[in-house]
Amino acid sequence: MKRLLKIIEAVRPTFEEGGKLRLFKPVFGALEHFFFAPSTTTIGAPHVRDPLDLKRLMSMVIISVVPAVLAAFYFFGLRFFLMIIVSYAAGLTVEAIFAMVRKEGINEGFFVTGILFPLILPPGVPLWMVGLGVAFGVFIGKELFGGTGRNIFNPALVGRCFLALAYPKAMSASWFEPSHRLTGRLFEYFSVDPSAADAVTVATPLVQAKSGQMCSISHLFLGSVSGSAGETSAILIILGGVFLLFTRVASWRTVVSILGSFIVLTGALISGGAIKCGMPGVFGPVMWHLFAGGLLFGAFFMATDPVTSPTTNAGKWLYGITIGSITVLIRNFTGYVEGVTFAILLGNIVAPIIDEIVIGIRIRRLRSEG
Amino acid sequence: MKFRGGHNILLSGRPEGVVRIMPEPEVLYIPLRSRRFDFSEVVVKDGQRVSNGDTLAKDPDNYGVPLLSPRAGVVRLNKDENHIVLEEVTKHEERVDMSKEELSHIERRMGEAGIKRYRLNALGAWQFFYDAHTRALPDPLGTPQAIIVSTLSLEPFLARGDVQLYKRLSSFTRGLEQLQSLLEYQPIYLVLPDIKSDFANLIRNHIRGHAWVKMVDDFSILARNLGLKRSEGPIWAVRTEGVLAVDRALTLSKPCLVRIVSIGGTGVNSPTHIKAMPGYPIQMIRDKYVFEPVARMINGGILTGELLGTETLGLDTECRGITILPELKDREFFGFIRPGWDRSCYAACYLSSLRKSFSERFTTGVRGEGRPCISCNFCEEVCPAGITPHLIHKYLYRDLIEEVEQNRVDLCIECGLCSFVCPSKLDLMQQFIEAKRLIEQEKEEIRREQERQEKLHQEELARKSIEEGNE
Repeated sequence: MKRLLKIIEAVRPTFEEGGKLRLFKPVFGALEHFFFAPSTTTIGAPHVRDPLDLKRLMSMVIISVVPAVLAAFYFFGLRFFLMIIVSYAAGLTVEAIFAMVRKEGINEGFFVTGILFPLILPPGVPLWMVGLGVAFGVFIGKELFGGTGRNIFNPALVGRCFLALAYPKAMSASWFEPSHRLTGRLFEYFSVDPSAADAVTVATPLVQAKSGQMCSISHLFLGSVSGSAGETSAILIILGGVFLLFTRVASWRTVVSILGSFIVLTGALISGGAIKCGMPGVFGPVMWHLFAGGLLFGAFFMATDPVTSPTTNAGKWLYGITIGSITVLIRNFTGYVEGVTFAILLGNIVAPIIDEIVIGIRIRRLRSEG
Repeated sequence: MKFRGGHNILLSGRPEGVVRIMPEPEVLYIPLRSRRFDFSEVVVKDGQRVSNGDTLAKDPDNYGVPLLSPRAGVVRLNKDENHIVLEEVTKHEERVDMSKEELSHIERRMGEAGIKRYRLNALGAWQFFYDAHTRALPDPLGTPQAIIVSTLSLEPFLARGDVQLYKRLSSFTRGLEQLQSLLEYQPIYLVLPDIKSDFANLIRNHIRGHAWVKMVDDFSILARNLGLKRSEGPIWAVRTEGVLAVDRALTLSKPCLVRIVSIGGTGVNSPTHIKAMPGYPIQMIRDKYVFEPVARMINGGILTGELLGTETLGLDTECRGITILPELKDREFFGFIRPGWDRSCYAACYLSSLRKSFSERFTTGVRGEGRPCISCNFCEEVCPAGITPHLIHKYLYRDLIEEVEQNRVDLCIECGLCSFVCPSKLDLMQQFIEAKRLIEQEKEEIRREQERQEKLHQEELARKSIEEGNE
């Protein structure tokens, strides 16, 4: 430990102003602060600071998606590991280049994007598409807006949206039947090679349901269905999500309002369909809808991103309700079967407007005070 | 009354509930500056012998608040910069330092209430009064719309009300009565941390029958929560020590020279309260209480206090507590993935959230890198003033001063909680102080410009009327 600190101190001048590698200062800084906490001290009041920093905050998100990552390994094979590596490598390159150009540090926010992105992709998607998608997401979705904290859209969702629109065929050919064996695919590299034993392209439950084929709720709950790599297992997502809510990194208001509005609206549609037959696209019980597709993953990990969601508490309720209801509308009344990506991106669009309204009301109230 | 915001930080090094008497010093170093006052008008000469209670200097900008000599001794003016040094210090009997004729002169001029206020100022009790909104010294001759007496201490390490009141409850009630006599019909609000506690009951028994004291159980920005508007006149705010000083000045006619000062913080071996006078040498406190080799000394509390540099040699007149904080020494290895059983944070991101609340040992470390705001909203949740720090920060970043003003940055009470909880380690409080100063400056400029225009207009009118008269 001390030796490492000595090495860092020894090579520091190379990266400082005037050194040979000064261009790579952000990379050096990121590595240094990965191992050792910064040595800065407070200047004025307050003289003490809370121990929580962004690194810790982001590692909380990463810890909370670990169950979903393990589920992806189990159901779709170790190939998923490669997807994570490609995603981190491509995204970090973009992030590091921007950090070097801006002469700022490399921000921790990317480590979350880098792990969330492969989780929302179909498990059989070609690796070059993973790299392209994450690079696009980070570049267009985040860096062009000014980097961490200033982006309007969730970068992972921007990348996903880009891939879905640019390569619809390749994407829809990448859904695979998960392993049903007890050991899963934990010990095999699952290639896209069609000759592999159980590699069968299978439509996701929501697509199947459109044609009247319903899979059971218990399969959805455990995750042994086709779908994006990390979104299939409802129980593991809920486990990680509740942990995230407990640590207060994600806002429970967003999650509750998304899921609540979704349940209420779907329930209303189903009961409406029961009274008056011929309601378009209404199928399955409410719980089935809740567990199917990317709704839970989106609600717990995507929509709760503090940067792209409204900042005010009242705004978070409105934002969640917007996302929940748009998801219901897209799923039931359009040609798309999976609407969470678009719903959250639309929610990101309205988030600043919601904030503007709520803050406007608050300013009016504050004006009369004091 | 509803309390919003706030964050209960448990820190080790909280001063215990006793007051220790410090050894008498031989030399006093009385700083000429404190947070509010600047005693620029020195009224004593070098080498002059003074007794305790004599006026050493005055602050001409703050209604001539006097700097009283805490002990008898010989004045040295040029020994240390910005200090009045008092040598050969001895403790004399305190004496009333007001000549009869002067008093009668003032009585003729200002009346019964006026003389009380004069005595408050001359005996050093007036400096315990604050304007509730601006925290400046209120006008001693003004009429407040209310007085708020607060026994609370928002800061973890400052002198506590219960310690100051120990064995002095009757003085406290007498002080409240004296305060009442300064007013006509305006209310006095007594703020207690918990109106159901035994201590509150004791006070209630003492002040039973005084209908003018209203008990208030909770605080936020007290004046705001009490429904007092800034536009309806000044509000005087005074702490426990202030009421005791009022009692001393008006009932006993004695100068207020000794204060109870807390010695707290994580760098102290036995955190406690001490009885000390302004000018008490800091080195003596340091020798006795500080065990850390490298420690930061703070004048005031840990969240709002000011750095006590080595150039300051003695306690200033407004000092309520000295906080000692060890400096950051080691850089933590893999700090962000440690389970964190021994550290607590605002969000429940460390393992310690499974544990009962405990006091953490803080250092001066920022504990993270500065990053852009991610709108986590923690600052808004803790803000007791109910403003949105992160939003104001973003407006300031874009130089939108008008929006900053609209979001009521002026309501900020500079408690420092937003900077404390910020995971991006932004210095929010300092930014707001700067922004408030800018806005004040701008307003002042506008006011001056208006005055100038008005004057020009008047001159124009006068010129016209003269011309008309000529015609």
